[in-house]
Amino acid sequence: MATLEHFRSAFDALPEAARTPARRAALYAFLEQGLPPNTLEDWQYTDLAPLSALTSEALRPDADATQMGIESFADSLDALNRAFAAGGLDRSIAANTKLEEPLRPENRAHQRHRLKLERGAEATLILNTSGDMPFQTIFADIELEAGSRLHLIRISDAGADAHRLTRVKLRVARDACADVVTVDLGGKLSRHDLHVDLAEPGASVYLHGLYAPVGKGHVDNHTWIEHRAPHCISRESFRGIARDQAHAVFNGMIRVHKDAQKTDSEQRVANLILSPGAEINAKPELEIYADDVKCAHGATFGQLDDQAMFYLRSRGVPEALARTLLTCTFAHEVLRHIRPDGVRERVTKRLLRQLPGGEQMEALQ
Amino acid sequence: MLDIQNLHARIDGKDILKGIDLRINAGEVHAIMGPNGSGKSTLSKLLAGHEDYTVTQGSVRFGDEDLLELDPEQRAAKGIFLGFQYPVEIPGVSNMVFLKAALNAQRKARGEKELEAADFIAWVRHRVKQMKMDSAMLSRGVNEGFSGGEKKRNEILQMLVLEPKLMVLDETDSGLDIDALKIVSDGINLMRSKERAVLLVTHYQRLLDYVQPDFVHVLAGGRIVKSGGPDLARELEEKGYGWLQNSVGQAA
Repeated sequence: MATLEHFRSAFDALPEAARTPARRAALYAFLEQGLPPNTLEDWQYTDLAPLSALTSEALRPDADATQMGIESFADSLDALNRAFAAGGLDRSIAANTKLEEPLRPENRAHQRHRLKLERGAEATLILNTSGDMPFQTIFADIELEAGSRLHLIRISDAGADAHRLTRVKLRVARDACADVVTVDLGGKLSRHDLHVDLAEPGASVYLHGLYAPVGKGHVDNHTWIEHRAPHCISRESFRGIARDQAHAVFNGMIRVHKDAQKTDSEQRVANLILSPGAEINAKPELEIYADDVKCAHGATFGQLDDQAMFYLRSRGVPEALARTLLTCTFAHEVLRHIRPDGVRERVTKRLLRQLPGGEQMEALQ
Repeated sequence: MLDIQNLHARIDGKDILKGIDLRINAGEVHAIMGPNGSGKSTLSKLLAGHEDYTVTQGSVRFGDEDLLELDPEQRAAKGIFLGFQYPVEIPGVSNMVFLKAALNAQRKARGEKELEAADFIAWVRHRVKQMKMDSAMLSRGVNEGFSGGEKKRNEILQMLVLEPKLMVLDETDSGLDIDALKIVSDGINLMRSKERAVLLVTHYQRLLDYVQPDFVHVLAGGRIVKSGGPDLARELEEKGYGWLQNSVGQAA
């Protein structure tokens, strides 16, 4: 059993004002439950034991005082985030207003956000776990009221020693739409959970994700889309590119509840493995309890498009460079959904740099 | 320039080409016509190096080289260009990046210096203008969201930028309206010279009104069943391929 004492000592080193009873209760709940064991199905491929090898200096619980009260915790990681975060965004976007600038929470090691889009509101939220911080957790509860729209971008362009845990819960009400793009580049050990509740008729979610771990990196994306009401739409497309000895995990559950008639759901997973030592475990899951629904799903382990390969080579592009170009095309299918141009261009450039032959591609830009 | 002798080829165990003989000299324009399924596209793709086709007999020489020994990218660097019947979309890779990757790779393979960035851009823009295209297309993905006609025009643009020696154009005229057909034809004519040759694969006489061929061949059942001058194309347009059935029969 891995020791978690350094989590306690990191917490105890906080100024007194930060060590509130609520945070201490959360810490105890975490210490008592411990890290999730791989015997749990949701943790089959991801072992968080390396977290117990971090130094207490690396953990960096937030030293700010907090207003948060004692609540119950979904699991030990929820409790850990509650203990280590002092807060985060706590906002409501007023009905029928549109935020022109994306919300970008301050870059702290541990963040806990609450966001509500009131009726008809529109906003973009960027959750960023990039950088070299050794350990970072971001948990967010987001509520979309009727007819509101959220463009959520979660980016993790993290250093080779970075550990990341994120969990986003989205509740989508009548006719509201969540348009989500997630991108994972680099990092040592990351686990990202996304729960989407299509709670009322006409709610929709469009979810596009790219995971591209390198080196010995491990990245695990788990998504749950719950169709709880009739006439909801979900589109989910994840793409993976793994090289070196990297390991990626994707698990996508779509659950169509009993009353969710006329559900329209599609889930696609496509993966590219660029090195013999790399590994991807992808598992689409579909549970349907309603009888009048349209659901499609599938996972492919890809070869690059042969026709496109021939096209490029017939123009004189050598095979290796053609592969790089087509890998860009493969990723573009996800990245094109990032709406702020600057963010999309930065992420695309960053991805190029970590593809085999990427230097050559950069020289062509 | 190109010398095809007794070429037999198959795909998925099915014989498609059953003994093609064709010689194209520098400066000539040849047209290959023929009904669907006669092997026209197979011949085009085979010349460009498509790996799905297996040559079972015969030879193809390009200049001093055994063409069949070369990879597609090597053939391109030697000067072979295939205008695709169905050009492929490559989203996320801009036309500019694509053209630069192709031209620089070809120059490198030939032992030439890569173009300076400014010279390259000026060269491409010049060609874009000749094809009456909007230079904004250069920053768009290759053929991404292009209409059928735009894709064909983009094929000719690539050809003008790369300046190949042998241009094999597989139904480049299909899906073009009259204006686009004129622009595409002008592009092809721009490339005609004593050092270059063109092989037009088409169903229709129309393109040949704009790009006058020196020789016309009819391909049927995997063989060239008739060859002639430009008049043959007109005859085919009037009579269809039916009147050739006899000669097809004899050839088979």
